[in-house]
Amino acid sequence: MSDNTLKKRKRNFDDAANAALFIAAFIGVWQLVFTLGIFPQISLPSPTMVAETFVKIIFNGTLFWSVGVTLGRLLAAFAVSITIGALVGFTMIKFKSFGKTLNSFSAGLLAFPSIAWVPFSILLIGFNEFGIMFVVVMSSVFSIMISTYSSIRNIPPIYLDAAKNMGAKGFLLFRHVTIPAATPSLIIGLRQAWSFSWHAVIGAEILMSIVGLGHILSVGREFLDMSQVIASMITIFTIGLLVDRFLLHKLEDKIRAKWGLDNHR
Amino acid sequence: MTKLQARNIVKHFDHNGNSVAALDGVNLNVEEGDFICIVGPSGCGKSTFLNIVAGLEKPDSGEILLNGKPISDSGPDRTMVFQEGALFPWLKVIDNVEFGLKMSGIPKDERSEISQRYLDMMQLTKFANSYTYQLSTGMKQRVAIARALAMDPEILLMDEPFAALDSQTRDLLLVELQLIWERTKKTIIFVTHNISESVILGNKVEVFKNRPSKIKKEIIIDYRRPRLAEDENLQKYYHQILDELKSEVIARTKDEIQ
Ligand SMILES: Nc1ncnc2c1ncn2[C@@H]1O[C@H](COP(=O)(O)OP(=O)(O)OP(=O)(O)O)[C@@H](O)[C@H]1O
Ligand SMILES: [Mg+2]
Repeated sequence: MSDNTLKKRKRNFDDAANAALFIAAFIGVWQLVFTLGIFPQISLPSPTMVAETFVKIIFNGTLFWSVGVTLGRLLAAFAVSITIGALVGFTMIKFKSFGKTLNSFSAGLLAFPSIAWVPFSILLIGFNEFGIMFVVVMSSVFSIMISTYSSIRNIPPIYLDAAKNMGAKGFLLFRHVTIPAATPSLIIGLRQAWSFSWHAVIGAEILMSIVGLGHILSVGREFLDMSQVIASMITIFTIGLLVDRFLLHKLEDKIRAKWGLDNHR
Repeated sequence: MTKLQARNIVKHFDHNGNSVAALDGVNLNVEEGDFICIVGPSGCGKSTFLNIVAGLEKPDSGEILLNGKPISDSGPDRTMVFQEGALFPWLKVIDNVEFGLKMSGIPKDERSEISQRYLDMMQLTKFANSYTYQLSTGMKQRVAIARALAMDPEILLMDEPFAALDSQTRDLLLVELQLIWERTKKTIIFVTHNISESVILGNKVEVFKNRPSKIKKEIIIDYRRPRLAEDENLQKYYHQILDELKSEVIARTKDEIQ
């Protein structure tokens, strides 16, 4: 057991060391391109200049405020998305032909670019919080809906047979068998929906907002401040990575381990 | 008293557009307290028949009467031990065993008392808090048996529950199951490939014909219990069943060669 944790700790350390090496190499190449003067300074600032911008936006509060606003919108919209998506998904299970019909549109709905919702949302709702949230919801709700539907449909029938045979029906069956049996697959849908929401909120903020990460990105562009553009991009990248790795991925790993799904010999 | 009656059960399956006849008029009377063993060549429809009795599968025609009334759905009065085990991977062993009890609203204390008893019987107490992937195939099968017994059903349906067990554990459970049966006077329908198993356990052995299947012969085994695997006197039953089965297996092989 302790041997195992030790090994795991070593592996984590190795992973971190590799990541650090990779980042260092990236900054090195960037610095090199800058020093060679391939692009004018205004188009490509040096790593140091971007770092200075970071310091500036951290100390004047812009960064935290923007991240806070963006994450707030995202979480609110994501909660709506999960609620509606799951409810529609369950309805699709309950009413088979409705489910089948809606599912046949799923490819189009999933592939639909989030940005393409923006003009519609502006005209329907306007340049406001709800307009942005609408774009985020529309960009992720189908992913939740389809994943709910297909996760439940792909439950091995033997689990449901066994449960019914032991007297589980109605809500008890749903709560104690359907949901846990679908969970490993639901988590994958959740991760996908999260990444769709993340795309959508930044896209919508670039076009529709006066605060938020997407907004400081577009302000950077308007003022030809490439340092701010890059600083915003790095922030967006980092948050996306952290949430997926330390929240969603962890959750998925935990569930998979509990289920014994990673025990392939 | 007749506990369960299968009347002219017919079942076809669709295989890529072709209809495959699995059961072709199975008739069976199960008296209260019967220990029925079903033997038959692989693929003849034993599991299908058991599923129909359990109410998990609908027959094309015919009906199952339980205490004289047609069954409608699956229910805890006819608990099944599935051929594949069918344990829930998201639950610990103990929660798997308690699942049916929980569904029927039995309070926690009583549940853990019952589950302890059956885990003990299946020699799984040490693994109560393990997840099912941490068990061997035979251990999983024992959990599945404990889970079914814990529900104390009117009729226990068992689909080759001992197939994955080592011979020592199997011999032990063969005796244990006879004791449980004698003590509780439960009605059991037990499907098996293994002729000696059927001779040891059954008071009636039903030999299924090759597909499309019906019951070819019923052999009554009236012999003292607990019967042991090594009992010489069981040999004559063994050979009687073997003779009935041999021709069916040959028939199936011919069927498949063509
Ligand atoms: N869901 C299904 N769909 C199509 N065909 C099926 C299905 N279930 C069973 N069959 C067919 O019905 C026949 C009987 O199957 P069944 O599982 O009842 O056999 P069995 O007697 O239990 O065999 P075994 O001893 O190998 O477990 C087989 O020919 C099989 O192909
Ligand atoms: Mg079978």
